[in-house]
Amino acid sequence: MLRSPNSVSKEKFWLLIGLTIFLHSLLLYRFFQLQILDYDLYKQRANSNRIRATSIPAPRGLIRDRNGEIIVDNYPTYVLFGIPGEIVNKSRNFSVISKATGIDTSYLSINYKNNYRSKFLPTKLAKDLTISQLSRLEENKNDLTGIIYKQYPERIFNPKIRASHVLGYLKETNQEFPSTISNKSDYQFGDLIGWSGLERHYESILRGRKGVSYFQVDAYGREVGSIDGQLNILPTPGNDIITTLDLEIQELLESKLKDKKGAGIVSNPKTGEVLAYVSAPDYPPDLFTGLIATKDWEFVITDIDKPLLDRVANGTYPPGSIYKMIVAIELLERKLVNEEWEVFCPGYYEFYDRTFKCWNEIGHGKVNLKKAITESCDVFFYQAIQKVEIDNLSERSKIFYHGEQTNIDLPSEMKGRVPNYKYMNKKHGKWGWSKGAMLNLSIGQGELLVTPLQIALYTNILATRSETFPLHLVKNEYKKINRIKIRNSTWELIEKSMRNVVSGSKGTGRRADPKIKGLIISGKTGTAQNPHGEPHAWFIGYGTKSNDSISIVIMLENGGHGGEVAAPIARSIFSKYFETDFKIAKK
Amino acid sequence: MFIEIWQKIKSSPIIILIPVIFLVSLGMLSLYSIVMVQEQAPPNAFSKQSFFLIPSFIMLVTMTILSKRLIHKYIYVFYVLVIFAVLLPFFGDKVSGTYRWINFGLPFDLQPSEISKWIIVLVLARYLSDNNLKMNHFNSNIFPFIIALAPTIIVLNQPDLGTAFVMMAPIIPMLYWVGARPFHLFLLVAPLLSIISAFNVAVFYFWAFSLALIIYASKPKLVHGIGLYFSNIFLGLIFPLVWNSLRPYQQNRVLTFINPEIDPLGAGYHIIQSKTALGSGGLFGKGWGQGTQTHLKFLPVQESDFIVSAIGEEFGFIVLFLMISLFLWFIFKILRLALNASDRFSGLTLIGLSSIFMAHIFVNSAMASGLMPVKGLPLPFISYGGSFLVSSFMMLGLILNFGREDVY
Repeated sequence: MLRSPNSVSKEKFWLLIGLTIFLHSLLLYRFFQLQILDYDLYKQRANSNRIRATSIPAPRGLIRDRNGEIIVDNYPTYVLFGIPGEIVNKSRNFSVISKATGIDTSYLSINYKNNYRSKFLPTKLAKDLTISQLSRLEENKNDLTGIIYKQYPERIFNPKIRASHVLGYLKETNQEFPSTISNKSDYQFGDLIGWSGLERHYESILRGRKGVSYFQVDAYGREVGSIDGQLNILPTPGNDIITTLDLEIQELLESKLKDKKGAGIVSNPKTGEVLAYVSAPDYPPDLFTGLIATKDWEFVITDIDKPLLDRVANGTYPPGSIYKMIVAIELLERKLVNEEWEVFCPGYYEFYDRTFKCWNEIGHGKVNLKKAITESCDVFFYQAIQKVEIDNLSERSKIFYHGEQTNIDLPSEMKGRVPNYKYMNKKHGKWGWSKGAMLNLSIGQGELLVTPLQIALYTNILATRSETFPLHLVKNEYKKINRIKIRNSTWELIEKSMRNVVSGSKGTGRRADPKIKGLIISGKTGTAQNPHGEPHAWFIGYGTKSNDSISIVIMLENGGHGGEVAAPIARSIFSKYFETDFKIAKK
Repeated sequence: MFIEIWQKIKSSPIIILIPVIFLVSLGMLSLYSIVMVQEQAPPNAFSKQSFFLIPSFIMLVTMTILSKRLIHKYIYVFYVLVIFAVLLPFFGDKVSGTYRWINFGLPFDLQPSEISKWIIVLVLARYLSDNNLKMNHFNSNIFPFIIALAPTIIVLNQPDLGTAFVMMAPIIPMLYWVGARPFHLFLLVAPLLSIISAFNVAVFYFWAFSLALIIYASKPKLVHGIGLYFSNIFLGLIFPLVWNSLRPYQQNRVLTFINPEIDPLGAGYHIIQSKTALGSGGLFGKGWGQGTQTHLKFLPVQESDFIVSAIGEEFGFIVLFLMISLFLWFIFKILRLALNASDRFSGLTLIGLSSIFMAHIFVNSAMASGLMPVKGLPLPFISYGGSFLVSSFMMLGLILNFGREDVY
């Protein structure tokens, strides 16, 4: 019954009013007591007896090479902070610091200005303080107000190698986080976070857990003692990661690509382990440690050779002739041509009103498939490709990871581009392209773009008849890649042809062979035309000696002919790896 | 139709919005100081609170114009729904050790127990006004008690002792309003007081003495009186024994049950810091954005549980005095509306809602100033917290609705 009467005596009302007044008065009295009666007590306590909690950063896990040698280590550095609200006299404080440590006062002022965030947040004044600078500061402690320092474990790198694109760098967090981080609340302003490379991909393993220490500070923000050591929480260091990199191979490959533009990957085709990973030019790996000086940044960012770009995973290039194996497999598997099918190569091919050149202007004469791969004859492929459907070729390419991510354990990788019927229609309009585009595609030119990383996986597939694992940089359990179903006779013909590329007297890749007894090398060269100047030079190959094998991919941006510039670099790696004394040292 | 709605709003006691506007402004001012000085980028407490003012306002208007008859008709259905709603979080993930929140895939989580507070009030109001109970019999108090207790026990298991306390707070004033004997109400709370007082010998003696006086003064049958007295004393005596027989880790488990956010520093670190922030504010405060204790992060949970201390530090006793006066004005106004309400359902609801607000105000401020053990409850209209803000404005809407002098 909604309308039952609300007959209430005034007495009840006044009792509830009384109770309300009583409770509110109790609160008011309490506030009065704390803020007026005991004001002096609390004011003094607020000023002179504070408990401050600071976090103790945890050392990150180390990064090691495959033999356990340390690539990335930590060393302690000290960072000086000032709390603006507690610095009583800024210029006096700065001159005391300057006198004790030798750091210029203008440097302190600039840092203070740049890093100032609020009156109450610690502002970074200087980094990389030595112990002796610190102890002299400690002697002048009584003249300093609101100045604190913290120990930071900072990254230090093995001087033998750079590997900057693989290792990656750390960055101080502010508002932005890498998308891979799910537990953002664990990070505080100014914490270091893995921003690229392995540091980013394995952030959750490498990062330890921060500790907390409590201490008392006085009215000037000076530490006067810890309150109770037992409350402190010690930081937990991060876990080490053991990479598949080989320090010596990496060092050699870096030296070979020094002052060049390009990419190189050395891996084990049976396991997918990456032994060396180089993108040139690179940058010193310690460029980003601690506070980044603006001029260092500008130097790297404005460089026209883009040293920050990881050419291995994020550079996309036309593959050139190294793509021909996929075309050959498509021809053989669909029985469009057989082993005996021949064309005559006069050095060029006329297709309607256009002339397509072979790289060898003299011509190759009569060419079958094996010879076409060995001597990299283009005319053979110009003619054979006319039997191929573009969508079939595009599907075949994807099986060999062209246009697909390799899923290597790094945070970013490009997909490249494999054109299909739909793509060509979209780009050129339905009538805007013809079979002529297919002729370019047959020799790995035109719309096709790949990353050197995809090519490394492609090489491993060719080396093992697809019995390989995904490429990876850190040892772990991995699942084999999907087996590619191709007839054995096709595999055999491809393998024979690729062996001839290196060991045949007319093979374009013969400069990759170090001629070590028992070492069999197969490969393919590529010389990819591009609108930016000299062609890109490619060499891919794999060598096997008594059950041990490695595969190599070398790409030199605008480097020239693959057989002339890329193959010799591969030779030096093969020769280093299969040298007897190196094997003993490697165990 | 719009004219009708406008008429409804116009005839509502909108004067009650004045203290609320002041209180919300004070809260936003304080949140802004926290966010700006500490350079927290949006979405931060201030931006989220501003955003939640929009649904709050919509719900305020909705609750104001909703038909009282419809509320009365369907409230039992809502009660059943609410029981399911407070059970829901148990099927989700634990958030900081509790099952209070439901995640609907929205950028924020919802806390269904906030709404259950005032649903209970409405259910009790309907039950007590529909049935003409003989309130001078003790037994008449038992069923209403169970109505409130059922969802409360679930919330207690989330565990959320603070909200559970608020959910039980309206029952005593509401029973009193419909005519329950104060002695009977006293009996309902006596066992709890017996247990709590048992932890201090002096307090327990005092309690035993007052209990005897009260029972004697209300002249029950001799057997009843003696039985009541000794069962209470027995409860008080036995509880510390049970407690002490628990192993320390078991005691700890109970303590974390009572307060899951128990602070790692123990020893009332939070209370000390909060009192220091409050006390050092003095009469006029340190000025807006100048609170050292707040901004150097000595003050914990400063946007919600301890916002009184942040306000006290920056604005001083003067502003706290004003704030308490505004709350007092607000509660007075609700009680006055309850007295003049046209029907018992409205009157009871208003009494219940005022008790909820009162419980929040008192527990929050008493805790921040060290009068009560730490148990986080937000301060109405001031503390940061989306679910609670919306829920508070829904209650405000109900007050405007039920405080209206309806012409049938």
